[in-house]
Amino acid sequence: MSSSPLASAPEGRPGLPGAALGGLALAALLAVALPFFTTGYVVYIANLLLVFVVLCLGLHIVIGETGQFSMAHAAFYGIGIYASALANRAVDLPYPFAMLFGALVAGAVGLFIGALALRMRDIYLALATFAFGEAMQWVFANWDSVTNGPNGLRIAPARFGPLEILSDKQAYPFVLFFCLLAIGFTVVVSRSRLGRAFRAVRESEVAAMAMGIDVRRTRVIGFGLSAAVAGFAGGMFGLFQTFIHPDSLGFQTTILVLTMVVVGGLGSIWGAIGGAIVFGLISEVLRQAPQYQEIIYGAILMLFMMYAPHGLFAFVGERIREARHGR
Amino acid sequence: MAAEDMAAAAAPFLNVEGLTIRFGGLTAVGGLDMAVAKGSIHALIGPNGAGKSTTFNCISRFYTPSEGRITYDGRDITRLPAREMAGLGIARSFQNLELFAELTVFENVLIGAHVHAGRTWRDALSARPRGVVEEVEHLIERTGLTAYAQTKARNLDFGHQKMVEIARALAIRPKLLLLDEPAAGLRNREIAALDTLLCELRERDGLTILLVEHVMQLVMSISDRITVLSFGTKIAEGTAAEVRAHPAVIEAYLGREAAQEAAHG
Repeated sequence: MSSSPLASAPEGRPGLPGAALGGLALAALLAVALPFFTTGYVVYIANLLLVFVVLCLGLHIVIGETGQFSMAHAAFYGIGIYASALANRAVDLPYPFAMLFGALVAGAVGLFIGALALRMRDIYLALATFAFGEAMQWVFANWDSVTNGPNGLRIAPARFGPLEILSDKQAYPFVLFFCLLAIGFTVVVSRSRLGRAFRAVRESEVAAMAMGIDVRRTRVIGFGLSAAVAGFAGGMFGLFQTFIHPDSLGFQTTILVLTMVVVGGLGSIWGAIGGAIVFGLISEVLRQAPQYQEIIYGAILMLFMMYAPHGLFAFVGERIREARHGR
Repeated sequence: MAAEDMAAAAAPFLNVEGLTIRFGGLTAVGGLDMAVAKGSIHALIGPNGAGKSTTFNCISRFYTPSEGRITYDGRDITRLPAREMAGLGIARSFQNLELFAELTVFENVLIGAHVHAGRTWRDALSARPRGVVEEVEHLIERTGLTAYAQTKARNLDFGHQKMVEIARALAIRPKLLLLDEPAAGLRNREIAALDTLLCELRERDGLTILLVEHVMQLVMSISDRITVLSFGTKIAEGTAAEVRAHPAVIEAYLGREAAQEAAHG
């Protein structure tokens, strides 16, 4: 799956190609300099994109690494948002503790749901996780005493000791930091023994079993970790958002994130990150024409599945390689 | 001959007693006894549908027998889950290749070492756990795959893919290696290489190998002992020469007339 030059990195080969390294350096420079030369709106979009990157990393763990489908990631994201917002309100601790709490709650729910749902597979698993996602949205909208129900929940400003975050620009460095942290975490997991077990289970369950891997446990752990990362993305959301409404945690969000991961490139961390950024931008542009949004997503998703099943970056990488070899 | 039998009976490394496997009303294997001596190459042969693969899958714990007992290294493994075999030092290959197709050869073999790759936290988090990587590279070299270490398994030709299966099984550091038709589909040159490798594993590494195989050229050349199955029961057992001359074996493979001809002519 990883025929793009970027995707070779997680396979344990040291060093990225020069062009990719240059691109990364440029992206890093842009990321650091961003709040100094743009408006608050652009920084807000950047924050949102970084949150989507982390959400995609979460979905990547379950889809890309362990090869299971999940239609419930908007729910885990929502659990992370609510849990960290409520923790932040209840306890006077620096905000990262609230984020950690959000990730842990989402992870715990993920482990539980995983242990139940992963008895099923393929379309049944997709349907079971879809049902859970819908049920969670109902919980967000109706558990008035905790989530404030359909009125939505105000999120108190994040605090880091004496520093209280009141603007998108202030939040940006923290959002960027936590995003990099999540990328680092995912890379480490992917390269580890656990990550190899994930891929072994994805590629062949019987062979994984013969290698001493507990297939069921590995799948459940993958699902739980994936939910925890999605919950962490929810905590990041609370760094710069002041309000959460259950409407934004429905199936549409799941589909958006699914599209990002598939279009970016299944099975590659860098594909998932790239997909989140490219597709996050597209979705922001499409906000001007909301009535066509779904049709355009659907069309893009279908086109990619038909013509570039390994994702945008693998597709571009292949075209570049072909051009170089004069074909 | 008799002395050899007694030695095998005294301490069979792998012992199968009264193994019976039924699928619904069909008895695939009925009351099979088989003892595999430590450090030997033991082949399980028989015509198609004889129950070889079923037996093999019972020993590797992918099937659970209806009756009977399987002991390995003095331990009853009849009811253990398949995933515990690797930890006990039992490795297997698959007849129809079960590679991690989208992963590189290196990663395939490294996953073979899964049970050894998590001794410390540092190792468990590493893409190249210490001690294990050297061994994995050595196995890749030994199976002639060095040039393909970074190639995805699905992009290899069939012969090399079979070798990846063996390298991956060896990464378990097995004491007992179970091979399901390792030579099927290989070319002569590849069979010769496999022959050399398996003999070397027995002589140098002291491995015990049980193989199910149809390629007689390989079976007759390397096996210390051969068990012949037909319709789920053992019809003969012995050395290559004994089995080859056994009338029941000739009958099972070539039919009754051939057996009579062999007996009279």
